[in-house]
Amino acid sequence: MKKYTVINTPVHNIDGIAKVTGQAMYTFDIKLPHMLYGKILRSPHPHAKILKINTRKAKRLTGVKAVVTGKDTLGIKQGIWRRYKELCDEEILARSKVRYIGEPVAAVAAVDEDTAEEALDFIEVEYEILPAVFDPLEAIKEGAPRVHEHAERNINVTRHIEWGDIDEGFKKADYIREDWFRVSTQAHVCMETHNAVASYTPEGKLTVWTSTQSHYYIKVLLADILGLKENDIRVISRYTGGGFGSKFELDSAQFCSSLLSMKLCRPVKIVLMRDEEFMATKRRTPMFYYLRTGVKKDGKFLAKEARVYTEGGAYTSMGATALYLTGFFQTFPYTWPSYRYDGYRVYTNTEPSSAMRGFGAPQATFTAETQIDLIADELGIDPIEIRRKNGMYPGYEVPGQARIQSCGLSQCLDKIEEWIKSRGKLPPNRGIGVAAYGFMSGGIFNWFDTPYAFSSALIQVNIDGKVDLFVGSQDMGQGSNTTLSMICAEELGVRLEDIRLHMGDTDTCPVDLGAWGSRETLMQGNAVKMAAADVKRQILEFAAAKLGPNIVYDLDIKDRWVHLIARPERGLPYYDVVKEAIRGKNGQPLMGRGHYTPHRKGMISPAYSFGVQAVEAEVDTETGKITLKNCVTAHDCGQVINPLGVEGQLEGAMAMAAGYGFTEDLPMDEGKILNPNLVDYKVLRATEMPETKIIEVETYEPEGPFGAKEAGEGLTNPTAGALGNAIYHAAGISIKNLPISAEKVLIALREKKEKGKIKKSGN
Amino acid sequence: MMQDFIYLRANTVKEALDFLEQYKDDSKIICGGQSLLILMRQGLVSPKYLIDIKHLEELNYIKFASQEGLKIGATTTHRALEKSSLIKKRYPVLVDMEKNLASIQTRNWGTIGGNLAHGDPAGDPGPVFIALNAVVKTANKERERTLPLEEFFIDFFETALEEGELLIEIQVPAIPPKTAVAYEKFNIIKNDQGVVSVAASITVDDSGIKCKDARIVLGAAAPIPKRAKESEQMLRGQKLNDRLLDRAAEKASEEAEPFADVHATEEYRKFLVKALTTKMLKKSWEQAKKLI
Amino acid sequence: MAKHLLRFTVNGEYHELYVKPKRLLVDVLRDELGLTGTKRACNTGACAACTVLLNGVSVKSCSVLALQADGAEITTVEGLADGAKLSPLQRSFLDHGAYQCGFCTPGMLLSAKALLDENPKPTKEEIREGIHGNICRCTGYNSIIRAVTAVAKGKYKEK
Repeated sequence: MKKYTVINTPVHNIDGIAKVTGQAMYTFDIKLPHMLYGKILRSPHPHAKILKINTRKAKRLTGVKAVVTGKDTLGIKQGIWRRYKELCDEEILARSKVRYIGEPVAAVAAVDEDTAEEALDFIEVEYEILPAVFDPLEAIKEGAPRVHEHAERNINVTRHIEWGDIDEGFKKADYIREDWFRVSTQAHVCMETHNAVASYTPEGKLTVWTSTQSHYYIKVLLADILGLKENDIRVISRYTGGGFGSKFELDSAQFCSSLLSMKLCRPVKIVLMRDEEFMATKRRTPMFYYLRTGVKKDGKFLAKEARVYTEGGAYTSMGATALYLTGFFQTFPYTWPSYRYDGYRVYTNTEPSSAMRGFGAPQATFTAETQIDLIADELGIDPIEIRRKNGMYPGYEVPGQARIQSCGLSQCLDKIEEWIKSRGKLPPNRGIGVAAYGFMSGGIFNWFDTPYAFSSALIQVNIDGKVDLFVGSQDMGQGSNTTLSMICAEELGVRLEDIRLHMGDTDTCPVDLGAWGSRETLMQGNAVKMAAADVKRQILEFAAAKLGPNIVYDLDIKDRWVHLIARPERGLPYYDVVKEAIRGKNGQPLMGRGHYTPHRKGMISPAYSFGVQAVEAEVDTETGKITLKNCVTAHDCGQVINPLGVEGQLEGAMAMAAGYGFTEDLPMDEGKILNPNLVDYKVLRATEMPETKIIEVETYEPEGPFGAKEAGEGLTNPTAGALGNAIYHAAGISIKNLPISAEKVLIALREKKEKGKIKKSGN
Repeated sequence: MMQDFIYLRANTVKEALDFLEQYKDDSKIICGGQSLLILMRQGLVSPKYLIDIKHLEELNYIKFASQEGLKIGATTTHRALEKSSLIKKRYPVLVDMEKNLASIQTRNWGTIGGNLAHGDPAGDPGPVFIALNAVVKTANKERERTLPLEEFFIDFFETALEEGELLIEIQVPAIPPKTAVAYEKFNIIKNDQGVVSVAASITVDDSGIKCKDARIVLGAAAPIPKRAKESEQMLRGQKLNDRLLDRAAEKASEEAEPFADVHATEEYRKFLVKALTTKMLKKSWEQAKKLI
Repeated sequence: MAKHLLRFTVNGEYHELYVKPKRLLVDVLRDELGLTGTKRACNTGACAACTVLLNGVSVKSCSVLALQADGAEITTVEGLADGAKLSPLQRSFLDHGAYQCGFCTPGMLLSAKALLDENPKPTKEEIREGIHGNICRCTGYNSIIRAVTAVAKGKYKEK
């Protein structure tokens, strides 16, 4: 019999028909009887005291039903790092002070959107403008304006990672280099903006439909900030139109619509406009990066010192995690005998920076991989060879941090090397750049302070053999609904169409922490597998009774066939066994439970994905314009569960990461984002996307369901670095300041021409 | 947000002109609305009366006669121009320009008249039609008039359209013999509005070396699509060679009055003007030589 | 503000409505007709998630006044399938996983349909240009190109 009958086969996404027919109902589409529409008034100042807010005129406008301000809240400062109260610093609806342009100060509910928006003009806010600070390197100086009273020199969080003796390492080094980088911010640009429909009823229950990556987190955070019991709140999110890290924290749409609804006992819908989405949600953490690296002349890595200052923006948000992960993934995927990282997250009067796909690792990978190519070039070593020489391998332990079990890095390097060779001699002004990465499959941290297992699953098998699978995970497009159904079907031994997935409703689904940090396949997947195994065991008990085999024989189910493993022709149809099993269980459906929480899995994650990406790019030396020609990625996500899903994730990650590399940025002037729209903010379109080739390197990860690991976020890590390296090899210039715009390329080309030699280092 | 307005549908040009005469500056014309609606939705433009001429078939035409040249009605869509075999044959640079303009959706509904009347110096049609020596015909209730397209653009988003006037036709003379026109814009995302753009027209003599006439028009490099007249002067009557083209391009970049924004600095824009002008001069010269 | 009569056909069904002049086509389709398949995702006519077919050609319904569609035939994503029978493009999208979060998918399908209606055998480059107007943040577009290519190659021909 085939090893697997369901996983690793190309299947239709189980939400596919709903999506291609337009039937899928997103929060954006929800319309309830008696519903009102809300709009939010936002601060025009980056830093100011709120002296007075007069809402009388707005309230009197025909069609306006309620206006709320910070005074209508419990004054709770919330944050997603709930375990660390000092990091819970965001009121969302500001009470006495605003700290970034766009921070909410009031919200209106009215009979239609236009009336709500008009009412905003009638709210009078008196501000006392305070001096503001925008650059973290300025904010950290003595005497800089204080964004938060408690944070001296605006230092929000610090992180330190260290192993080995880097001073010894540098002493032994034949070659040492220092580089400074500035890696930029990025906007998530989910196609569905942040939104919520909140409905509070006289029973004292609040229901919130919202576009989210974690309905569980939103439920708990709303309970905290509204003073309600967790389970008097129901959060529903069947379809989410993109997340990418922007939608697992509590946002202004969710909070303000809830406040208004609680006041009126009517549903209130708030949908953020695209400019609000750019200015007043969260964004990728920009960083100032210093790397000092020492290697032996044969390319062996000895010591690395990293120092990072991140532009935190006005609140902690998820920025503390990004600060840690950038320091951790700075060493991936290589073995460093010694390493020291010091990271500082600095408050500034700008939009808070937080989590975005890759979570600090794309920033780390860009800097690390850029420097590695420069080192390789100096030492006359081939870029693949230097990576091979220092690459992680199965069984490697990152001292005090992580144990690498499955690791297909060296096979990935081999495959990419093969492809590069096959390209032969490239036309002029073209280059191929390579970047290697590793990434986590879900984090072990519980800064959220949940008492629950990180993932849980419930299964119920019915008389017709259909399997109800209840999960807490969220599909935001990454395909977890399909992947988890496949895992369930494979483990239980049935077909994908036998699974009925239930998700997206905190009233009926078990707890899962949400779709972030690439945790769903491994963590929710393990919980699902456990629940399926539980129910299978019960089915097999009945089958054993029915078949009466010799005790030495084991049974299994494959493709709806319950059979003896050693004698697969001897068995019973799954449907028949189920019918009798339910009778034997007092007429109760067969039920299974599963859960997963990583215990003793190191400091970061139970398992790591790996990969190597090569980008072929062309530079127009007349204008500096970059064109992507080819992109090949060899990656190791353990056992592939959902191949169409993996392919889609890889290509999508590449497009997003390429944007990070050369087209996307949020330039600001005194804290004001200058391009908060999709005309001036440039995401890649179909015409900029190159042909992509994907090479699967299969490994088996013991920590993951069927050996699977993540495959959606890690793939965002390498592209900016690979692109930068491609430009380096194409034109001999190394740009250390993202994004690599055409103008920067042109200036670098001109400088190179004047200098007459390849740039070695610079800011 | 968009303000309410009184909607007036014009079924004939006469009706449109009557409305314009009646409501004057309280009114605005909408045709494809691909630029106007975006401004109206943000509350930046809020006319009391909106005169809809989208379905004015009277102004939806592409005509050509060898003496008079090309006549395009103002409500002709970009897509119609793009797909016109007549235009591909006689004014291929217009098809090139349209193919790279915005998106298919925009071109399906947006019109050439609407584009020119919007007065955006970064718009694609302006520089190309000026390089082709186009003339626009406008009309009010009393009379019609024509003026060179070059004089139609006055300032940022400001045209020579007077109160009560409607743009009704674009006239393009037949391209003179041994003349080729090339156009290109610089962008990072294909079809995006140019960071800068350059249209260049070169007329050569029978040898193909001497330049009889040159027209160089810069887009997104000044408050209006700008003729780089000094640069043209350097070429007229001269024997062309790469060095001369390079120097003319340098002059064009000096004539540019670019602004800085999130996409580029002034300096980079000037640099791009030079690079694009060099490229377009070379391209149009090459193509003109083939016509000898 | 006086409302005007709007008469048009949407997915083969005739409708008569009175609408305020400032109403956009996308909002009338979504709110008055309840056809929520068509989405709005930006406020500057840049993303084309709102693409519908108007008299057979693709337009951004957020950049068309509803009254300008008077007398027109509109096709939205809801009009692609015939009951349970999905259109060739829809089936190809399913087979190729040419969507992820699905929010841009309705607009994308209509742009692809408009492309193939006009040019049944486009090259890959022509397909890229054909869907250029539509932003997708999830897929990186290549799966969509594959899906459209497969339809162009005749893999979903009706017997």
